[in-house]
Amino acid sequence: MISDATRARINELFERYPDRRSAMIPLLLLLQEERGWLSPETMREAGEVLDLPPVRIYEVATFYTMLRTRPCGKYLLQVCRNLSCSLVGGEGVLRHIEKRLGIHDGQTTPDGCFTLMTVECLGSCGTGPVVQVNGDYHENLDVAKLDKLLDSLT
Amino acid sequence: MSPKPIRAKNARTIAIQLDHRAASCPEGVTVLRAAELNGVFIPSLCSHKDLSPFGGCRLCMVEIDGMRGYPLACSTVVQDGMSVLTETTAIREMRRDILELMLSEHPSSCLICTEQAECRENQYTIRKSGVSTGCRTCPKDGQCELQSLVEKLGVSEIRHPVYYRGYEAEHDDPFFDRDYNLCILCGRCVRMCQEVRGASVLAFMNRGPKTQIGPAFGRSHVEAGCEFCGACVSVCPTGALVDKASKWDGKPDGAEISTCPFCALGCQVELHHKNGRLSKVHPHLDHEINDGQLCVRGRFCLPETTHHHERARKPVLKRGRYFREVDWPEALEDVASRLRGLEAGDFLMLISPDLTNESLYTAQKFVRSVLRTNSIDSTARWALPGGTGVWSRLFSLPISIEALAHADAIIAVGLDSRFYFSVAGVQIRRALREGAVLVTIDSRDSNLARVADHWLRSAPGMEGRVLRAMVERLFSGDAGAAPHAAAGCGIEEVSLAKAVRSIASCRSLAVVVSPSAFAVDPGGELAEALFRLEGREQTTFLPLMHGTNTRGALELGALGELLPGFEKADDAARVSLADVLEGRARPKVLYLVGEAPFFERPPCEYVIAQDIYLPPFEVDAFLPAASFVEAEGTLTNVEGRVQRSAAVEHLPDGARTGRVRPDWMIFSMLAETLSADGLHFANAGEVLCEISRRVAGFPASGDRRPRRTSPTVDILPRGAGAHPPADSARRLIAEPGGFRHRGIDLSHVVEGLSELRLEEGLRLHPDDLEELGVKDGDRIVVHVDGMNVTGTARADADCAPRSVTVHRPHAYGGLAHRQGLQCLYRFDGRLLNVTVSGHRNS
Repeated sequence: MISDATRARINELFERYPDRRSAMIPLLLLLQEERGWLSPETMREAGEVLDLPPVRIYEVATFYTMLRTRPCGKYLLQVCRNLSCSLVGGEGVLRHIEKRLGIHDGQTTPDGCFTLMTVECLGSCGTGPVVQVNGDYHENLDVAKLDKLLDSLT
Repeated sequence: MSPKPIRAKNARTIAIQLDHRAASCPEGVTVLRAAELNGVFIPSLCSHKDLSPFGGCRLCMVEIDGMRGYPLACSTVVQDGMSVLTETTAIREMRRDILELMLSEHPSSCLICTEQAECRENQYTIRKSGVSTGCRTCPKDGQCELQSLVEKLGVSEIRHPVYYRGYEAEHDDPFFDRDYNLCILCGRCVRMCQEVRGASVLAFMNRGPKTQIGPAFGRSHVEAGCEFCGACVSVCPTGALVDKASKWDGKPDGAEISTCPFCALGCQVELHHKNGRLSKVHPHLDHEINDGQLCVRGRFCLPETTHHHERARKPVLKRGRYFREVDWPEALEDVASRLRGLEAGDFLMLISPDLTNESLYTAQKFVRSVLRTNSIDSTARWALPGGTGVWSRLFSLPISIEALAHADAIIAVGLDSRFYFSVAGVQIRRALREGAVLVTIDSRDSNLARVADHWLRSAPGMEGRVLRAMVERLFSGDAGAAPHAAAGCGIEEVSLAKAVRSIASCRSLAVVVSPSAFAVDPGGELAEALFRLEGREQTTFLPLMHGTNTRGALELGALGELLPGFEKADDAARVSLADVLEGRARPKVLYLVGEAPFFERPPCEYVIAQDIYLPPFEVDAFLPAASFVEAEGTLTNVEGRVQRSAAVEHLPDGARTGRVRPDWMIFSMLAETLSADGLHFANAGEVLCEISRRVAGFPASGDRRPRRTSPTVDILPRGAGAHPPADSARRLIAEPGGFRHRGIDLSHVVEGLSELRLEEGLRLHPDDLEELGVKDGDRIVVHVDGMNVTGTARADADCAPRSVTVHRPHAYGGLAHRQGLQCLYRFDGRLLNVTVSGHRNS
């Protein structure tokens, strides 16, 4: 069920666009922010709000990597694997997270605390290696800093 | 929203240069279309005439003077004076590259195999396999667009690493199989499903190398609400989507254009045949009716209906307690001996409206001139509520299917076009894309109501009254409107007025009425409204019925009171179907021709059945008739077009092939056995000639022009109108089922239809089931008219709230499991208040 508060935010979104359907991605991001991920039920609801068949929502949701169609842990760790980060130890950072949490790209820890994801360039090449945690950048990482970061999160 | 397909209506002609040659084309078409019109071939795998430009396969790239790079022919609109090069060395090279890239992800081992040439020569048939690894193990071998392009462009090696996606082939849904390892992601199926059919079942999922086609949330097609119209299968350029039934038949030997034998629209089909046997059915690109579209029945149900293992192919006589296969002369002699010396009232022939014109005409001539009685009747009557007079007048209106697509406004009454009359739905969608206004009047939710500008959700059975109220307002304007007209229909004055206003200013109007709406309109308000609309300019109609040749049956005198050509027969002693059903008459001999409107043997001394399947009860004589692919004939569609039904199977008599005969020939043989004259016909064409001499305006050969009848029969007095339902009760709606052909219900012989369970059980809205405390599949009891009828509840979100819908079959063959609901079927067209009580299955 979409709450009244959310509905108010959705209506705000609609005002920004000449056609309701244009608000699809902002709407999905909003629902994702609220629920953590986009379940089939959420996508159906979004379809109802936008007056579109659910399959039209599904194709957009599965296309964009920032829209998640699987449940996500409390903390989403997005590790950059592009060139700049890799040159200064990004791969080591990724391996360390995998070893410490026992999960690989796209997986979630059994306690539902962490989800690990590799991403393309985060646009912070001067301060690599970079890991984005729920939208916040953690830069110039090494193993010690990473452990401190993960400790602070659990 | 996707862009509209680029169409050119009455466009002016412009001059262009194609490969340095002067050419011309209408303004507004794409370069691809312009080339096609001028006979120049540009390869393409993703474009389609009915679909919006997609630019997915990129094979149609061309060079255009003054344009940078290589624009796509399928998405570039021609300009006056444009100079196009469709084939240069650079383009040829790039096209080959593109094909190679496609093939690197498409199982194509046969293309690069060194034994290719020998294999072609030695393996005459494709190899049936679970997984296609190359063309010789692919069901589309020899019919594949990708394959033919590869051969045409001469690609013989793949210079990229070969990648196999490894998806599991999908066989679980009825009617067609899917193997997305073969898919090239052209998107034709997705666009067809969305743009033309409006079903929106398919979409692209994920992206990049993981892109796949399928329904949302990993559901099956049945769960996703697929209509199984097969439009996606027809446009698939590879073997990713293939018909289940004909999957391993290989390339057909040929195709005949014929008419679909399953409803009154009379869609044109191509009957593909292989080794003298019907293999599969494709829609014909006939722009007057179906324009390359079909519904689930026409697309997938023909082969199974004619080839089912229960098909009865030999004459059978009952001898004591046993049944014996006999030869035709013996069977004819036995039947003839029973037909000799019958008194009036001793005989009744029931004849199916699914038969050809030739068979219907010969049947009534046999009854009238040989047996000298008018005791002939048909379940066609059930499809003509209000009486034959009303319908002979309805057929005098301008009836048009094609006009739907060009109308400015459309009123659809009670029509859900997913599984029945899909083609009408497709035409309505075409009109909507061009900006037409759609008003639906329906107590139920429907696929059209979901896209309508105005959905007037009436109370069940009040559709006719709402239409009448609309028509009154249309003629008198708001000022003169009688506010009570729509009273009790469950429609608010405001929404009615709004709907009327939206169509009042439109020039052309099309009105389409489904059989479900006619069935619950005992007062004849629908017909009344249609007759009033006749006075409006540029108005066309489409009154629908399920029986294929119902119009032919009416015109050719298959009903006792009417002679061919709507002449009135004398009223002398005549037995009718209603007399038998209600026990008023008990004819000694009952002759069922493609009809089985009973679950049990009717109380007659001698019952003859002439059909393609045995009826669901014991008969004394069975005469095997030829099916729609085994005999030539013509069918009259709802517009009055007399269209050819082609024979593609010419079976010699034999142990396996049986000894089937066309229906008209059986009557002719019987007449001969009875030493009667006037029924000797050498072929179906001779019968048609006689019909055209006897019935004014009936064409002597396949003349497909629509005809309007001139009504000569008086309109019969009408019953009282429906009453709005009482508050506490529910409404019982017994609507005509559509899965019928001759005496058999198609859901019995076509496995896929029985899986869909569309006409099963007592259908209620899920909220109503919840209120009753029962689940889908539980038994419920309907209390009606002093009876208690127990049946299985089915949740159907489309049902009107506070109603119970039951599908009333016309053909009872194969429906033994629905016998329990039989007493509901007699409430033909009446709306009854019912109470329902449920009990959970424990």
